Parts: sequence; structure tokens; C-alpha cells
Amino acid sequence: MIRFENFCFGYKPGALLYRNLQLSLESGKIYGLLGKNGAGKSTLLKNLTGLLYPSSGQVSVNGFNPSGRKPSFLQTIYFIPEEVHVPALTINSYVALWAPFYPGFSREMLDNYLDKLDVKTDHKLNKLSFGQQKKFIIAFALACNTNVLIMDEPTNGLDIPSKKRFRKLISSSMHEDRLIFISTHQTRDLENLIDQVIIVDNGELLLNAPVDIIGQKLSFKIVEESYAAQAVLYEEENMYGRAVVTANIAGGESRINLEQLFNAATENPEMVKAIFKN
Amino acid sequence: MNDVFSARRFGWLMRKVFLDKTTPVLGTILLCFTVTLIFYGLTRLLQGIPTAQNGAFTIGLPLGGTLVASVVFGYFNNNAVGTSFLTLPVSVFEKWLSGVLIVGVLYFFLFLLFFRLIDTAFVAQYHSGLNPHSPYYKEQYEYVQLFSLTGFTARVNYMMFFNFAGMMMLGSLFFNKAPFVKTALAICVLIIATFLLNLLVINLLIKNVQIAFPFSVVWIWVGTDRAALNLSPENESRIRFIFCFVLPSIFWGLSLLRLKEKEF
Repeated sequence: MIRFENFCFGYKPGALLYRNLQLSLESGKIYGLLGKNGAGKSTLLKNLTGLLYPSSGQVSVNGFNPSGRKPSFLQTIYFIPEEVHVPALTINSYVALWAPFYPGFSREMLDNYLDKLDVKTDHKLNKLSFGQQKKFIIAFALACNTNVLIMDEPTNGLDIPSKKRFRKLISSSMHEDRLIFISTHQTRDLENLIDQVIIVDNGELLLNAPVDIIGQKLSFKIVEESYAAQAVLYEEENMYGRAVVTANIAGGESRINLEQLFNAATENPEMVKAIFKN
Repeated sequence: MNDVFSARRFGWLMRKVFLDKTTPVLGTILLCFTVTLIFYGLTRLLQGIPTAQNGAFTIGLPLGGTLVASVVFGYFNNNAVGTSFLTLPVSVFEKWLSGVLIVGVLYFFLFLLFFRLIDTAFVAQYHSGLNPHSPYYKEQYEYVQLFSLTGFTARVNYMMFFNFAGMMMLGSLFFNKAPFVKTALAICVLIIATFLLNLLVINLLIKNVQIAFPFSVVWIWVGTDRAALNLSPENESRIRFIFCFVLPSIFWGLSLLRLKEKEF
């Protein structure tokens, strides 16, 4: 379980990005962290992994304080940054050097994940394309079987078939003791993958809700031009007509469009917060 | 689980550092050895072996060691590499110790061994080139001896090595980009500032100062001659102790603290 309590963080003294953030994440779920560029997504992830320290407040990951960067904590968490680095080593050499640090690592699983992601090479890893390198790191991270897996923009650099394989792999590797936290601004890559959506903007938590609750509380629909039945949180013209996001007062569940949800939360944060408050 | 030190985990770390950072670490060590060899060879031709020995030892140990020290923690000029290093499940102490062993033990002793080898070769070559029937053979032979690794010059170089390497390890944890250049500049500024400040203070206290070296000697003009004001032996040994043991301990210890507090 991950807990942020009264979490404050700023890169400069007196200019806080996050103020008194309260956030709780449970194991067994895949969380999608959405936010604009510079909204503080990576900052949040780095505080989780102990790469940055909170200005005040507390961060706890399965009972550990990440700032201590203790081996007993670090072997339970794997962080894949946006830019990955692989050394000039073959897969076997990489595994021989890195895997001993992760007690839960399984070579069998790695081979299986590499196969699913279509990464095959006998050459050194640094000779692979960026996308292939990233897929290798994703497969390795999953094979380490850490309780917490944090990914910053994991689909950047992946081609379209790889994004699909990535979604499938993440879903299949999920279990009740694992927590996966994925940060992205490419909302479509997370559709049908995540269990809970977290939206941050300027260091503020705008939304933290499970996908099914979002489907119950908000309505995503195509309406006529003259539609004015209720307040619209977000609207856009698309090829099917006028797409709107409104509070769901009619009941039923609509299919969530993460991009529209994100725009609704960032353009009308107060209305969205009011809807999810109850 | 021991979160401070585990011999097994440390072994994995050292293996990883050597295989993952083979090019930067071993490459830098080889570069330092090559420069030392070239410097020794050229200076020997131009100024003789005793000068070459002193110069090459200084080039190889304090300066080369400083370069190696900048490499061992040179993870932070790349986001992915820095993140990978800091999130590797190894204690801060073990990560620091890996750097200390590479610079303070591995490089130090490898360099001494290498230097002894090339020094032996050059000195032997010089001795074999002498004419044993020459009337000056004995003087010429004794003029060139193996560089003493326990002599005054060597000890000054050891002191410089442990101070500069400590500063450089600390600097490479402060500066993410171009740590060698930035730390070297900081060291130069520190030395110049100390020298000038010392000169200023001495000039305020004593007249006719010619030059003053911090913590060692002040040369003053007495008429047309110059005289030295040396530190008392008691103070000199205190200063030597500080430079040989206290300052290196502070710099190397601070690099452990800095690594612990490092945010990235």
C-alpha cells in the first residue's frame, strides 16, 4: 500500500508544487496517473521511489519510508523512468548482473515476457532500438516480481503493436499483491487497462476514482448541437458530433473516454471534485 | 535483512560495477597509466630521470586519481543511469564503499605497482647505458635510483591524492553534468582564494613580505636578501596531520553523506 500524508514538495524553498496531498493506493490495482506536461507526475513517482524527498509530510510504501533507500525497500519496488538505459551487455549478462538484487526474479517469466513483447536478440542490448530496449526493461521489471511497479511514460517509444502487447502483458501479470502505477499523458494507451484514475494538475489532486465509479458518476455521450439539459463539464466536436462529459444523473454506465475525462477534470476541476466528493 | 552491509550483496555490486562500467572505469585507469608512461618517457629525455619520476608520479597519482574519482560516481549526467544507480537494491554505504575501493584501494595500489614497474624499467635502462669504465660511473649510477615510495615527494603526493580524490568524489555527487571540470575549477578557485587570503592576512601582519604559502612558509625581504619564516615543528606536524588525515576523512565522509542525501 502506498500512502501520501500531508505531502508537500517543492523544487525551490517557498515554491511548493504539492501542498498537503492526501493519497492512498492499494495493492491489487493498476493506477493510471494522468497530468499535463510539468503537472508533477514524475515528481510524485520520484518521491515514491526515494529519488526525491518530501519537503514535509510523509510518504510510505508498504510501510517503508522511501527516502531511506534501504535495500529491503528497493528490492520491493521497480521504477522504470521515461528514458531507459541498457548497458553494452547481452540479455544473459544483464540478468546475471541485475537479477540477484531482486529475490523474486524469475528467468522463466522474463523469457515469457520477452517472447510476448517480441524482443529477441543474442546481441548486446545497447544495439537494440529504443523501443526494443524499453520493452526489455519492462519485461525485466515485471520478471523481478516486485510488489510495486512504477512506470513513467512506459509507452513512449513503443510502436502501435507493442502498445497493445504492453497492455495485454500488464493485465496478465497483475495479481492481488502487486500495485502498478503508470504515469502518462497518452491517455489512450491506458484505456481498458487501469482500475483507477488519478489526475493531477499543478501539484493538485483533481481526481482519484476507480474506473467503475467514474462510469457511474459521469456520462460520456454524443449530443445534438442544441443540447443544454445539464451543465457540461467538457465538450468537443468530433467526427460523430458534439461529444460532452456531464454528471451522470440518468443512471446506467457509459464507456469512459480518458482523454475527455482528463480534459473535463483540468478545465472544470471544482465541478469534477464536487461530483466525486459524495 | 541487513540494510547497511551484506558481503554477498556487495560482491554482486562490485561485479556489476566492473562489468557495467568497464569502459569508463578501466578505460580511465588505462588512460592515466598511458599518460604517466608518456610523461615519464618524454620528461626523462628532456630533463632526466629524477625530474621525470617526480612529475610522472604527480601526474599519475593525484591527477589521475582525481580523474578516476570523478568517474566512479559519474552516473548522474544521464537520467536513466542515475535513476538505475540510486534505485538499485544496495545500501548507500555499499554504493559509497564501491567507489572508495575503486579509487582509494584499487587505483592507488595499481598505480604504485605500475609506477614501480615503469620506474624499474627506465632506471635499469639508464644504468645499463652507462659506461662501467667511465671515471664518473659510480656518481652517474648513484645519481639515478628508484623513486622512493616512502620518501617526502611520495608522501606529499599521497596527501594530494587523498584530498583531491575525496573532493572529486564529493563534487561528482554535487554536479550532475561535467563533474570533473566543475569540481576541478572549484578546487582551483579554493586554492587560489586560500593563497590570496593568506597573502592578504600576512601582509597586514608583517611588512616586506615577498611571498607566503598557506600553512607552510612566509618569505620576507631583509634588505636585499630574503628570509623564511617557517611554522614551528609542533604546528607543522599538526598541519600535516590535518592535511594527511583530517581533511581526506572529511571529504570522503562527506561524499557518503552526500550520496545518502542525493536527490535526482
